[in-house]
Amino acid sequence: MKIIYSWLKEFIGTGLSAAQAQDALTMAGVEVSSCRFLGEGMEDVVVAKILAQGRHPNADKLSLCRVTDGSAEYGIVCGAKNMKPGDVVALARTGAKLPNGVEIRKAKIRGEVSEGMLCSEMELGLSEESAGILILPAETPLGKPLADAIGLSDWLLEVEITPNRGDCLSVLGVAREIAAITGEKIRLPAISLRESGPTIASLATVTVTDWGLCPRYSARAITGVKIAPSPDWMQRRLSLCGIRPINNIVDITNYLLLEVGQPMHAFDLDRLAGRSIDVRRSGVPRKFVTLDGAERDILPEMLLIWDGEGPVAVAGVMGGQNTEVLPDTGRVLFESAHFSPASIRWTSRRLGLSSESSYRFERGVNPGMTMYAADRAVSLLSRFASFETARGTIDVGGERDFSRTVGFRPARAGRIIGRDCTETECKAVFSRLDFPVEGDGPGRLSVTVPPHRFDIEREIDLVEEVARLTGYDKIPVTYPESGAPEFSPDDRFAKVLEDASEFLRGQGFTQAINFAFVSEKEWERHKALLGFDASDAIRLSNPISDDTTMMRPSLLMGMLHNVASNVRRFIEDVRLFEVGKAFGKSLADGHYEEPRLAFVLYGNRLPGDWGGGQAAVDFYDAKGVAESLHGFLGAIPVHFVPASSRPYLESGKSADILKDGQTIGWVGAVRRELVSALDIPGAVFYGEIRIGAAAAVTPPPAQYRPVPKFPPVSRDVACILPAHVPVGDVLAMVSELSPEIESASVFDIYMGEKIGEGNKSVAFRVKIQPSDRTLTDAEVHSIHTKIVKLLENRFGGKIRTS
Amino acid sequence: MTDAAGRVQELSDAGLRALESARTESDLLEVKGRYFGKKGAISEILKTVASLPVEEKKRIGAAANEARAALESAFDAKLSRIREQERVAREGKERVDVTLPGRAPAAGRRHPVSRTMGEIIATFQRLGFSVRGGPEIEKDYYNFEALNIPKDHPARDMQDTFYIDGMGGDLVLRTHTSPIQIRTMEAMRPPVRVIAPGAVYRCDSDVTHSPMFHQVEGFAVDRSATMADLKGLLTEFCRMMFGPELPLRFRPSYFPFTEPSAEVDIRCVICRGAGCRVCKTSGWLEILGCGMIDPSVFGFVGYDPETYTGFAFGMGVERIAMLRHGISDIRLLFENDLRFLSQFQP
Repeated sequence: MKIIYSWLKEFIGTGLSAAQAQDALTMAGVEVSSCRFLGEGMEDVVVAKILAQGRHPNADKLSLCRVTDGSAEYGIVCGAKNMKPGDVVALARTGAKLPNGVEIRKAKIRGEVSEGMLCSEMELGLSEESAGILILPAETPLGKPLADAIGLSDWLLEVEITPNRGDCLSVLGVAREIAAITGEKIRLPAISLRESGPTIASLATVTVTDWGLCPRYSARAITGVKIAPSPDWMQRRLSLCGIRPINNIVDITNYLLLEVGQPMHAFDLDRLAGRSIDVRRSGVPRKFVTLDGAERDILPEMLLIWDGEGPVAVAGVMGGQNTEVLPDTGRVLFESAHFSPASIRWTSRRLGLSSESSYRFERGVNPGMTMYAADRAVSLLSRFASFETARGTIDVGGERDFSRTVGFRPARAGRIIGRDCTETECKAVFSRLDFPVEGDGPGRLSVTVPPHRFDIEREIDLVEEVARLTGYDKIPVTYPESGAPEFSPDDRFAKVLEDASEFLRGQGFTQAINFAFVSEKEWERHKALLGFDASDAIRLSNPISDDTTMMRPSLLMGMLHNVASNVRRFIEDVRLFEVGKAFGKSLADGHYEEPRLAFVLYGNRLPGDWGGGQAAVDFYDAKGVAESLHGFLGAIPVHFVPASSRPYLESGKSADILKDGQTIGWVGAVRRELVSALDIPGAVFYGEIRIGAAAAVTPPPAQYRPVPKFPPVSRDVACILPAHVPVGDVLAMVSELSPEIESASVFDIYMGEKIGEGNKSVAFRVKIQPSDRTLTDAEVHSIHTKIVKLLENRFGGKIRTS
Repeated sequence: MTDAAGRVQELSDAGLRALESARTESDLLEVKGRYFGKKGAISEILKTVASLPVEEKKRIGAAANEARAALESAFDAKLSRIREQERVAREGKERVDVTLPGRAPAAGRRHPVSRTMGEIIATFQRLGFSVRGGPEIEKDYYNFEALNIPKDHPARDMQDTFYIDGMGGDLVLRTHTSPIQIRTMEAMRPPVRVIAPGAVYRCDSDVTHSPMFHQVEGFAVDRSATMADLKGLLTEFCRMMFGPELPLRFRPSYFPFTEPSAEVDIRCVICRGAGCRVCKTSGWLEILGCGMIDPSVFGFVGYDPETYTGFAFGMGVERIAMLRHGISDIRLLFENDLRFLSQFQP
């Protein structure tokens, strides 16, 4: 919200400069984000008068003007057409640097010297567009700096009002805030009304049927008014605050809205059927055309203003076209009412229609101010328009007291703030706020809160007033009493994520963060490849773009797009990992979200290597990452079995990762069709791990076993096996053959013509390590024989003897 | 037999010369064998003097021992010289180019957001807070209602919410990590001291707003938590994150679930208070929001506000990361361009 500083000073004779007010308000919780001097850029612009105007000899569209600023004469070349000799104008002298950035220099234009420029409103930053140069009132003193002449030696404050401080959405509200900070006094402009003409009762009647939604309805009527533009100063103030001037009647209502925060509406009294007003809900759905010409769908619960025949306004939101003030309007009824915030907000949201009026009503408006605002409007209007003021007022609900009392304990304030708050200190704050205070037993005060501070309902609200108005800088710095924080399994989970990420970085993976929402269209396009079923989709009702419509079922597509975009940027090797949630529907709770860790490998095995590392990554690189990661996290043992149902992974090159019989992840080559759909030129390997499972168990402390005292024996066995035999199974069974076998490993695999198609030659190395003695040759031989038998009988192997 | 003594002398001289001209370790061993090994020439002489008188034997024996000692010592010296030469020659031949890259993968980088989040969490863990998480698809009740943000309240405009389609209604993507306050307080009695990090979502996208971003929420409830404690804790936090010298200020503000509420500003890290584009010429940067937990929030979780007081604070991780690393466009953080990510320390 914009506040003009000179306007503010009409309400409080504060000693603060604009910049000091900016600081003081900000530190009291009413943030002033900027404070701009309006005359900026007008330092060398003065009021001047056109003495003579002639044609430019070399250009039809330009004229030559002689102007004077009262002390000197200047020759000016001008392109505008809207001036004539005798007009008073704004002259930018040479050296001026205008608000729009233009610098004025002495220049020859088509052979004629120009010693300055006559400015338009646009060039002065006063409006968005202008038809010609600015013509000032004839009586404006020549030579006067323009900023002074048009009231722009002034500051414009940009104030950010939090939703709880609707009371500050006006010049008066901000002035009250300054009063609360400095202790200076507010002065309300005096009302001077000369009532004449008929009584208001003879002109209009007001009924409030739904008084719960409209606690107060005040009105004034005027007759014999002539619709005309408002004076320049008023138009200027409205424009600076972002409201377009319309005519004297509409402008005065907007001016009061800005000044005292009371939204008002002007009805053409002669267009109000039966000259009667009622305030009640619509009752049925209906169509209604608002001032802006739009047809609105009114719901039964919405509060409307009615005349004798039908609706004439959406209460507190916008008036109707049917009763708006027109150029020939002569009799006007000013509505100055109070509507319930929740109702206005609900209506405004449902209609998708927000106005200056609804914005204020939904944040709260002072119900005690309605009559003053109507009086002030008529009083101010009478200064520049002639009309007759109907005698008397309408003020439904005017007898109500909108103030409230709230109990307050200074000790409670002290306990919340963390320092002693004395009764005297608290009372001083309430006095600056203009809240009357009475004693209410020992240590208790009874505080009367005036209607303009409708946000204050509870003791804690008063505690906040004391805290902020005595200053947050007065709050001491102390430290919480320490106590044992409770155990949380999430601490461990956070640690697992830290560890996993550290491990992966060590393996050359960089961390990615993708949006958790993805494009359902894309998942739908590749649904067969992704195994995606639209009925599992968790969709957003209001996605921000087409690419972010659905919560991701897996981290896969994000990571593939990361590979694709990096490859497009000429990066040859991509290793990325991401930790984030995957989402889906579940029978039990409707939906689930599960933390996952995903990683992707693309390019060379050892990027940047100069000897031997340039081989492309393959399945075993990806598996190796998954394997060692689990080892690193202590989440072992894990087993890898051929993946059963991961359509997005190549069926021959993918595995599910099992732990305690549960699938806790999968790893493998991404389906070629998917990779090429994203224009990735090579193979991509991908792993995704349900990282919650890894964090779920705290591994028990490892138990010490004596270190072997006797030398181990190694035996190598080379064996031709059918190609389909899983070597992992062989290793597992060999290890179990005898307690003396410490480990079994593979050190060579060969497939080729020499051993026949459908076969593979596997060289095993078995480490035999008894714990308590040196094995005899016979014992070693017997173990070796067991191994050979197992290979031959169980796996159909043929031992190679060479 | 002075002859024998003379022979010893001759052999000694010859041996020394031979040692001198030896080129390799095996040459050297050969010389040793020939002259002063167990079966060398000097030993042979000693055998021949066995029949001589004792005096004579002693004299020759002494001369032989002396000669052998001299030869041994010359041998040792020569041997170490030869070994040294061989070492130099071998190392010269086997030299590697130490400037070639090593054979480990270049370390990957941590995402700057994750890094900043990790530091924030670690800082509060040191200050006695424990971590708690919560769902990202959240009930309206936890995200709004129980945080004192009723339906049709203007405070809902402060956060543009993503709603989940269908699914029984009333599900949103959490707009802040504050719902974890409610979930935690429902689950346990005071004292609580919790830090709640995570992804949050708001319907907003430009240079400084991302539809998904990260927050860290913290809160503490016990019998004596005060605003002064909150100020002390956050002052300490800002010192740890931004350095001990950077001035900060607490400024009144508004959040529906805290009262009194405050915004914490730090001195602009770009212009140091002179005024710049980043701080919109104010010289200060908003870094986090905080306040005393509103009694009506306690009402939702069944804590007695007369017995307990609590405070809460929350901050945007991206904003802090951007300030620390001089990143001006938040969208860079979610493009996962390796040329961008690799600029940050691992």
